[in-house]
Amino acid sequence: MSRPPFNARMPLCQLAAGATARICEITGDESFVQRLREMGFGEAALVTKISGSKTSLCHVNGTRLALNHDAAMSVLVELLPLGAR
Amino acid sequence: MKLPPHISLPEKKRVAGPERSPVYAMVGNPNCGKTTLFNALTGLRQKVGNYPGVTIEKKIGEAYSQHGRPMKVIDLPGAYSLAARSPDEAVLRDVLLGRRADTPQPDRIICVVDSSNLERNLYLVHQILDLGRPVIVVLNMMDVATTAGHLIDPKKLEESLGVTVIPCEAVHHKGLVELRLAMSRADLPLARHRWDVPAPIAPAVADLQASLVQYDTRSPLVARAEALLLLTDFDSVRVAGSTPLSSRTIEILASWRKRWEGEGTDWSATLIRSRYEAINRLCADVIRRTREQGPSVSDRIDAVLVHSIFGWLFFGAVMAALFFSIFTLAEYPKNWIDDHMTALGGWVQGSMAVGDLRDLLTHGVIDGVKGIVVFLPQILILFFFVGLLESTGYMARAAFLMDRPMSKVGLHGKSFIPLLGSYACAIPGIMATRTIENAKDRLVTILVAPLMSCSARLPVYLLMIATLLPSTTVATTTKVGLMLLMYAIGTLGAFGFAWLFKRTLFKSAPPLMIMELPPYQRPRLPEITRQMIERAWLFLKNAGTIILGISILLWFFSTYPKHPDPSATPDAQIAYSLAGRAGKILEPVIKPLGFDWRIGVGLVTSFYAREVFVSSMAVIFGVESKDDNTAAIRDALRSAKWPDGAVLFTPLVCFTLMVYYVFAMQCMSTVAVVKRETNSWRWPLFQIAYMTGTAWVVCFVIYQTGRALGF
Repeated sequence: MSRPPFNARMPLCQLAAGATARICEITGDESFVQRLREMGFGEAALVTKISGSKTSLCHVNGTRLALNHDAAMSVLVELLPLGAR
Repeated sequence: MKLPPHISLPEKKRVAGPERSPVYAMVGNPNCGKTTLFNALTGLRQKVGNYPGVTIEKKIGEAYSQHGRPMKVIDLPGAYSLAARSPDEAVLRDVLLGRRADTPQPDRIICVVDSSNLERNLYLVHQILDLGRPVIVVLNMMDVATTAGHLIDPKKLEESLGVTVIPCEAVHHKGLVELRLAMSRADLPLARHRWDVPAPIAPAVADLQASLVQYDTRSPLVARAEALLLLTDFDSVRVAGSTPLSSRTIEILASWRKRWEGEGTDWSATLIRSRYEAINRLCADVIRRTREQGPSVSDRIDAVLVHSIFGWLFFGAVMAALFFSIFTLAEYPKNWIDDHMTALGGWVQGSMAVGDLRDLLTHGVIDGVKGIVVFLPQILILFFFVGLLESTGYMARAAFLMDRPMSKVGLHGKSFIPLLGSYACAIPGIMATRTIENAKDRLVTILVAPLMSCSARLPVYLLMIATLLPSTTVATTTKVGLMLLMYAIGTLGAFGFAWLFKRTLFKSAPPLMIMELPPYQRPRLPEITRQMIERAWLFLKNAGTIILGISILLWFFSTYPKHPDPSATPDAQIAYSLAGRAGKILEPVIKPLGFDWRIGVGLVTSFYAREVFVSSMAVIFGVESKDDNTAAIRDALRSAKWPDGAVLFTPLVCFTLMVYYVFAMQCMSTVAVVKRETNSWRWPLFQIAYMTGTAWVVCFVIYQTGRALGF
């Protein structure tokens, strides 16, 4: 598959509702990052934002997970083109 | 006398040999239906206790094998990983690793898995398989998975993992027989599943494993699993009652950590990734997806319930329904209890000769206990609501909505659940803080939780409102408004202090939150009822023992020593008694708030529990329990005077007293729970000081300002 035309990285909190993205990088507090990964929120996982601007509601791996603003800031995602999933 | 060998030997063999009934541990992610399964398996044969040192419920139940043999089942707290991030998870880890002297290390482990979310749930299973114990994997909620379009092949999973896998629907009692059969097997297979530790980590694992075997007396397999864990969480969360590691193991751990930090290797990410890779390979084999995943029913409900407008409207409606039920629905059972207790008091009064014994029974025992038991209905309603919100899955949504307002004071959405629970009672509220991972955020939540107006304040508010406002001329809405004002002051106080604490004592980085929103479920009424009964029983036990004791003591202290003049007024008698003398010592401190020594006696006695204030007032003002009790106390309070003839309970004093109860820390049980939760006396003492100090200052300002304005 060719690279999507738009693959700039952005924090998860800026992802639009309904969009699906791939998680590229998680930064910040070591033990929190570990828990994110353990809950399936790791690098390369696909995340669909359901709603929220301050607090994000996402779909990852069949689970609905809520992240608060600071947590969502620490997750960098890469937008997938529509229909790539 | 020495017994002949043919008598003693078989006895010994039965206890120590393979015939001993196995101890099972039940583990699983939060919201995987573990508790439902545990209840279905063990029925009412459960013992609920505590892990010493931590207020985490320790539930041990008894199940019977197919052959009728009893088997112990320990229900462990829900966890996402053995790398503990909260006290709950630490208890799970410690029990499984045999680090707790107070709990037997389980022989076998039942892993409950939410089938509709297999990958994530298998992460914990994967860690548990490393322990090398016989494991039964229970695929719970198979129906939900099938509806969601995930067809899981239990046989294939069983083959890949090498352990028994049982499909199950705990809610519908399906699969229980199969589970019991598997539990009855003597030859439960050990995990055959082998997972290769990533190469860069292998030497460290071997090093730590050797040390754990040699210095911490672990068996080799448990040592390997523990070594893997130590390398991911570095033993960061420890709770009371857990055996510490040997200094040698700690040294080795520290040296590996240092080495990796120098190299810049992210060992924990590597470990997690390699586990998930193994799980994904497994799932690709085991799950057949019948359709592309679209929005589920829960997603569609969430579109409304966490919506930025409709979500708040619904949340507001839920809160309104909660308070409405407490204030209005509870009235009927409350009046019923009140009438019957009053009738009992009247009957005793009428059928006994005048004297101290009759006084003790009517004024001490019956009035004292009645003052408490009447608000059992309100407690039941509150617990019903909290149970309903939790079992439907709405509680997590409320926390999600509240995350934004909570972030303004430096906390996150998860702190809202304990605060909401504290409207019922601070004790379950404080216990609910266990899900907050960050220690500082958890402590702040514990410190402010008792400011939320709990149900024990209700009787005080109700009595003061009754005294303050004449029942005939003032509309009910004004009374309800005044009551809600108290709740609002308490809630604002909690938020205000959380804000202050997060900026001063507990400065830390902004909190990070990740929270799972479980699928919506039908409320499980039997479980809610069960919890309500448990709570009601605890409450009644309290009322029947300690509060009864306090009522009797209070009666004694306010009756003796007897006034030298037998015809002295009840007022003079109280003033002469021990309680009166103690109250008078306190009077200079509380006089600036408009309180006299009799209120002082109430403040002191209700330090045990706020609701005692009402029964104290009944005893101190010598209320005869002939007709409606609240009205009788109210009338007695209204006619109470200062020595100079001024009215004691002016509207301003009633209001100030209510505000005093909003802020003051008047609950021994909360003090005890905070002590246990924080493992030190420092925080409960600090809590008493800051809350009661605030109460005094706020009341001083209100009373003096009110006086200056001419109230």
